[in-house]
Amino acid sequence: MAPSRGLRPLLRTRIPALKPHARRYSEFVAAATDPSQKARVFVSQSQDPYLNLSIEHYLLQRTPGDSTILFLYTNSPCVVIGRNQNPWIEVNLGVLRNEELGVKLVRRRSGGGTVFHDEGNMNYSVICPPSEFNRDKHAEMVVRALKSLGTEKARVNERHDIVVDKEDKEGALKPFKVSGSAYKLTRLRSLHHGTCLLSSPNLESISKYLRAPAKPLIKARGVDSVSSPIANVGIDNFKFQEAVAFEFRSLYGTLSEASVWNRSIFFVDEKAKEVPEIAYGLEELMSEDWIYCQTPQFKFSTKNITETDSVQSIPSSWPPALRGIEFTAKHGKFTEVSVDYNDRTASSEQIELPLLNKLELHKITDWEQLLPPFLFTDSDRNVAVSPGRTMNQLFGMGNYEPSAYVRE
Amino acid sequence: MASIVRSLRPVASRFAASSSRTARSWPISQFQARTFSASSAAQAKKYTKDHEWIELSEDKKTGYIGISEYAAHALGDVVYVELPTIPMEVAAGDSIGAVESVKSASDINSPISGTIVAVNDLLEERPGTINKGPEDESSAGGWVAKVEVSDAGIKDLDGLMDAAAYKEFTEEE
Repeated sequence: MAPSRGLRPLLRTRIPALKPHARRYSEFVAAATDPSQKARVFVSQSQDPYLNLSIEHYLLQRTPGDSTILFLYTNSPCVVIGRNQNPWIEVNLGVLRNEELGVKLVRRRSGGGTVFHDEGNMNYSVICPPSEFNRDKHAEMVVRALKSLGTEKARVNERHDIVVDKEDKEGALKPFKVSGSAYKLTRLRSLHHGTCLLSSPNLESISKYLRAPAKPLIKARGVDSVSSPIANVGIDNFKFQEAVAFEFRSLYGTLSEASVWNRSIFFVDEKAKEVPEIAYGLEELMSEDWIYCQTPQFKFSTKNITETDSVQSIPSSWPPALRGIEFTAKHGKFTEVSVDYNDRTASSEQIELPLLNKLELHKITDWEQLLPPFLFTDSDRNVAVSPGRTMNQLFGMGNYEPSAYVRE
Repeated sequence: MASIVRSLRPVASRFAASSSRTARSWPISQFQARTFSASSAAQAKKYTKDHEWIELSEDKKTGYIGISEYAAHALGDVVYVELPTIPMEVAAGDSIGAVESVKSASDINSPISGTIVAVNDLLEERPGTINKGPEDESSAGGWVAKVEVSDAGIKDLDGLMDAAAYKEFTEEE
């Protein structure tokens, strides 16, 4: 900022708002890009998951190529899907949208499966040169931190997750996942980030957010999640943060005094949004194009549902006559749509669903308008059916009670 | 791809020792044979330090791009390949897609400048194809994209390695 200082008197009257902004975020930019720093810790004071992932992406792209960075952050409640996953398979969007907790849907840039974050979950992220990277190195670092805080049984498993042996409901000792890992590897830098469940108050409800009603009716390309029993470690966030930063220092830190090292920890906050590249990354990450249209191609079909199907998600309000809705979506857009209520339908209404072609699935906010309710005659009984309502429930649209989206 | 290979090598070798699915030993002979027996109409393959390859057509106007045998082996089982939307103008080193394996999203970068004019759709449907024949540019192969070479692209080729130099490079890594 030195060159512009001389201009300050000139600028002061004209655009007074610009300077303080530039000053505030420039300290973060200077810290992130300082070539003399070979190891540095950043801690976010924001709980915005989109911002935290955007700060992390900035650190991946802009920190010196030979440096190693630790970034620690917690997020407000959100479900985070992997780069190549399908939100309609991984997430109960209807519950997310209509529940008070206001859980956000996030798609991260790294690979892997879906995880839930909240204030009781701390995320660690290590960015290092590709030559230094291996998948377990920094999970092992976190294990050492957990052990130093008394969690002796923590270990890294074959899936690169951190597990802790605990007694299950029957009293048997079993591994419970406390931390999951994902990676983003670029030409110049490697990123490993992981969650760590410390004291989440939401463990019981996590499966409710992750159980998607449409899952049994979708065949998709892309990456599946592997569900594991989870547990809290039961450690305070700040203590965990300190212990991980300490282990990071043992691995990469200079010989400087602990007090000097601690003072070098950089606290980054909402003002990071003013860094143009972070603002750009944030916009991209929050866009529906990224969240929904990055979804690998998939096909939804109700055609193969039979009376004897044990598929649990099939609602009872889905009589045989409705078992003919099919579509394929590529980049989140419909490519082939067909609705065949078959000859048993009492309705004469023709639904021009092929018109959906090229539209985006997530933009269909009310399927009831497209597929109106009608009376269907089954064994001389008239049954009112609403395929639109069912589709809303399967794809998380409409504004019903959260329980309307839960299929047991 | 550089990051993947350098970083995953220890992991890859561990996999090779323990998992029957990925237990293929590093196919050196196959790798050499394939490199030098490429159809006579095509130019010899060139490699980047990031472990991508490019093979130009005889008229040097187009070329196939893919990731090297070495990279594919180090990646482990590929579960998804993200391909670019065509046409796409690229400079050497630009990301033209990504592969996912073992929870990792890894960029694929263009070895040279030009315009990506075709992609290997087979990889979207069967991502494992990239493990089976990463340097195979046939219709059933694991090539990633086809590029229309620009003038700058011709110059970019000078900075790439031939098969022998690349082999030496991977042995040093």
